[in-house]
This record gives sequence, structure tokens and C-alpha cells, in this order.
Amino acid sequence: MRWNAGRLRLAAATLAFGLTAGPQANAETPPPPPRAPAVVYAKTCGYCHGQHVAPVIRGRAIPTEMTTAIVRRGQRAMPAFRPTEISNAELGALAAWLKAAKADPKEHDQ
Amino acid sequence: MTGLTRRDLIRTGAVGAALMGSGAMASPLDGPRQLPAHLDKGAFAAAVAELRAVVGADWVFADPESTLPYAKSSTPDPRHEHVPSGAVAPGSVEEVQAILKIANRYKLPLWTVSTGKNMGYGCATPASSGQMVLDLKRMNRIIHIDAELGTALVEPGVTYQDLHDYLEANNLPYWLDVPTVGPIVSPVGNTLERGVGYTPYGDHFFMQCGMEVVLADGTLVRTGMGSVPNSTTWQAFKWGYGPYVDGIFTQSNFGVVTKLGFWLMPRPPAFKPFMVRHGEMADVAKIVDAMRPFRMSNLIPNVVLMMGAAYQIAMFHRREELWDKPESIPEDVVRDFARKHGLGMWNTYFALYGTDEIIAAIEPIVRRAFEASGGEVLTEKEMAGNLWFEHHKNLMSGQLTLEEKGIMRWRGGGMVCFAPVAPAKGVETQQQTQLAREILGRYGFDYSVAYAIGGRELHHLIFIQYDKEDPAEEKKADDCIREMITRFGARGWASYRTGVNTMDLVAQQYGEANRALNARLKQALDPNHILSPGKQGIA
Repeated sequence: MRWNAGRLRLAAATLAFGLTAGPQANAETPPPPPRAPAVVYAKTCGYCHGQHVAPVIRGRAIPTEMTTAIVRRGQRAMPAFRPTEISNAELGALAAWLKAAKADPKEHDQ
Repeated sequence: MTGLTRRDLIRTGAVGAALMGSGAMASPLDGPRQLPAHLDKGAFAAAVAELRAVVGADWVFADPESTLPYAKSSTPDPRHEHVPSGAVAPGSVEEVQAILKIANRYKLPLWTVSTGKNMGYGCATPASSGQMVLDLKRMNRIIHIDAELGTALVEPGVTYQDLHDYLEANNLPYWLDVPTVGPIVSPVGNTLERGVGYTPYGDHFFMQCGMEVVLADGTLVRTGMGSVPNSTTWQAFKWGYGPYVDGIFTQSNFGVVTKLGFWLMPRPPAFKPFMVRHGEMADVAKIVDAMRPFRMSNLIPNVVLMMGAAYQIAMFHRREELWDKPESIPEDVVRDFARKHGLGMWNTYFALYGTDEIIAAIEPIVRRAFEASGGEVLTEKEMAGNLWFEHHKNLMSGQLTLEEKGIMRWRGGGMVCFAPVAPAKGVETQQQTQLAREILGRYGFDYSVAYAIGGRELHHLIFIQYDKEDPAEEKKADDCIREMITRFGARGWASYRTGVNTMDLVAQQYGEANRALNARLKQALDPNHILSPGKQGIA
């Protein structure tokens, strides 16, 4: 769920007045903009990679094709992530970001 | 698989990428997708064209490459019985209704998932091959959070991460209750599977309140108070009027749940996590008998986890660090490794919630009981910084983590959960532990378990970890869980939930009358059997 500024204002108004945003109210809501790669990393990849669970992947110049293939197929212990979870546009940006990402000394390998 | 691990490939960089591109890395779907047995290619293609007209071409996945993410699962499927034909992802209730209309016309079976991360039970894969996954992830709106009542109404694609972010952004004084894979799974999916978390709100279906369901014929039903015009109590009162029907839409295939209400736990002023460490496998009975009165009286209010040492070790370590043989790891090897990391053979995590005064009053009572059971009662004072203690502290306060996913690396990515229910009686839990170890030992698997302790029962969560890329191992894991289900069942111990590969087997244990009732409900609500056929053994 991505909340743009308009949505946050709507949410705040909803809370303030105790109103329920009915299903019709949002039926025409346009799709949210792609999340930034760092956000996708922090809210999905970074829970395992660099956190004792899965290999460190930042700072390793991983080829973009490899990231894309592994995310979509899953591999061994890693689940697959579908375009409904991480869109093609988000995945393309994530792969490019990851290839260029510097290592974070706070991350741990497995 | 060529013998390279994913870790190896990542380290080989460009060479690894080339290997992947050449197809040297085995994909989880080497064969073609499997179409529904009763549909020929032309009929399937026609159905797909109609689905595209409803949701748009981007949201129908009907070729081998785009179906790949839906086929990935850690559970054993040695006979390829759980291969989807594709997927369709609606963005609204109206699109769900339109899809069901098409599915009824073509008799196209649809396997419904919310986020499709049913780890250990099949992820997004269907109970039988050829079903098209009905992927609800795009329906991801937080419809309403009532800041005064602490209630939520969400769509299936909302994750615990989304809710967490929402509560933070709006500075709302509530905690989530998360399963161990919280960030990437949904409260709707987990609640409908009757999953658990680890705060006092850990029994998710107990905390559920109201749902919206699309029936197979497109009828939209709101349960509880939700169908009353202008109702303001849909998420406040569970039972509504007349027969209570929410239960028939959980662990079932009687409808497509498109909205779910549930309660949020008010953030307590004080919270104190504990770990009780016991040194021997045989201590299981003493722990359960010591815990029972506290869970029954709610003096310990959260869903308690009693974690076996091998499971805990697998979260953060690899099997080869302890043991390099195919046989089960001997008990003394596990005990020694655990001890070096501050763990016992059983590590029981609970917490006290409320105010400092309440916690100070309860702690001595609890402490005495567990010390009398032979355990060491530990708190942050002794355990701060210990990876496992910190992990469980996070779970018991509704924080997001995926650390328990580490257990899937133990033997190459394969993992399936056998989850029999045990009464909260020491003798029977000891018997279950003995039986599980005997069976696992014959297959060369490790006893890697967690007991989740509810009020009067325990979910004995037994994780069979195996090498998914070795067909012989996959077959062995499948044989092993079938033997476990059968032999536990003969003792009267049945599963609360099971993977797609054993849904029918477990359904048989609940008896013919129960199955016939479910079949009659199914026939009445979904006469074309288009919704998730085989789910929980219901055709």
C-alpha cells in the first residue's frame, strides 16, 4: 500500500471525522506510483539479506539480469516475488540500484 | 542444479548471470504449465482473452515465464500435482465478480491467494494442477482504521508492513500481531488460514470481526453487522444476527473474501519479554504443565512459543556448521551448539503486558513456577543482544521480522510444515515429541520444531527441511509428512492446517460426515466447483 500525499490527507480526514472511506470512494483511484528502489529493498529484501538470514547483496555489483531472474523465480530458500508485489518498473529500478549499491557495513552475512 | 548454490552464483557475478541466462540454473517450473484437465487449449485461450478484457493484458499471466513466480514453493511436489495454469490479478471487487462469471462459463478453476506467501504450506501453488491463481495482491487498500475502537478493515493485498507503516504515519497507539513472515504476508490471508501471531491478539481468527465475500455466482455478502444499512458496528461486534457464517469462509473454498475486519491491540504502557531455558529434550512435559495454568487464567496472555534448539539454530546458522552427515543430527551435538549460543534444548518465550505495577505483581508468581520446572527464567538483563531473544521480543511486541525464514536454508530450500494439535498436557506433548523424532529419524531429517501454546492446546509445528533440488530428497520429504500425518492421526492427533500436497489426506481424518457436510455446502454455494477445488480436501 503506497500512500501519496493526497491519500494521506484523505486518511487524516477520515480519522478526524470518524468516516469510513467506502469502497466506491476509492474505486477510481489511479495506481500508485512505483516505489523507490531503496524503499523496496528496505521493506522486502532487507529483512533477510544482510540480516543473518540471506547473503549480503549490496556492494557486490550483481548483474541486473540476475537480480531480475532470482526475484521472479525465487531460488532455493528465497520465495519468488510476482509483478503484483514488485512491479516490473520497480524491479528494473531495484536491479539497477542494487548493481550500483555500496556495501553497508551494518549488514551481516549469513 | 549443477551443484552451485545461489550464494555461489551471487559471488560469481557476471558468470553467474550468464549461467542463469543459459538455463543452467534449474527453474522451479522446468516443464510447461499445466492446463485444467477438462479444458482444451482453445477453450483456455478463449477464457484468457476474456479475462484480459476484464483486468487488462498486464494482469493476466498465461505463459510459462510469467507463471514462474506462482509455481515457486518450498513444499514437496514429486508428482507435479500442484502446477498452476497461470494467474489473473483483479484490482477491484467488480473485477472479481466479472472473473467469476467467466470462470463459471468455462468451468475454469481459480485458486485464490492474497499475497501467496503461505510458507511451508505451498505458497501460491494450487491443490491440483491446472488451476489458475486468482491473485488478490493488487486489491491493497486499507479501507478504514477506527482510531477510537482500534479496528481495521482491509483488502486481501494489504500486508502487515503496509499496516505497520500506516499506524506509524498516523501515530496511532496500536500494535499489530504478526505471523513470522509478517512483512510480506497479509492479515486477510493469514486470518483466513487461521494462522497465529505472538502477542495477546495472537489467535487471528478470534480477533477477526466482519468480512465481505464474493460468492461464486457473484453475490456480494457482508457478514456480521456489515449488511445493516448505515451500520457503524461492522468491526465492533462479531456475531451479527442469526447463524454465524464467518467460519465457513476460513480454510475453505466457499467464496472469495474481499474485505476483512479485525481488532488491533492497544499499545500497552509496559511490556516485559521473558525466555525460559530448559536443558533437556525430555523437559517438554514439565514446561507444558507449568505453562498451562498461566495460559488458561490469561496471567500469561500472549501466544507462547516453545522453541526447539534445532529450529532456533537453523534461523541463523547452517547445518554444516554442526553436522556434515545425512543422518539426523544427534541430540548432544544440538545441545552443545545451542549452549554455546545461550540457548537450551527448549527455549520458551512469553511476555507480560500492562503497567509496571501489574508486571511486578505477576512476575514473581511466573518465575517461581518455571524455576520449579527446572528452567532458568531470563530477561533482557541477561539476554539483551542475544539474536534469538531479540527476535522473540520483536515478535511478542508485534514488530516485523523475517528471521525465521532462515530455517529454509538448512537443507537446500525445501521446507514443509506438519502441524498437529496437542492438548496442553505434558504427557501428550512428550508422546508427540517422541513420535515425531522417531519418524523424522528414520528419514534422516532433524527434529526442528516450535510449539505455539494457545489457551488449552498447542500447535506442534514440525518443519521438515530437505533439499528441494534433489528429486530423491523431495520424494522422501513427501513420504515423511504422509507417514507423520497418518501415524499421528491414528493416535487422534490431527493437523490444524496443512500444505497443498496433503489437504485431502488430512480431510480424511476429520471423518466422512464432516466431509459430506462440506461437500453439501460447496455444492450449494459453488455448483461448478470453480473456487479453489481441493482446498482443505473440499472438491
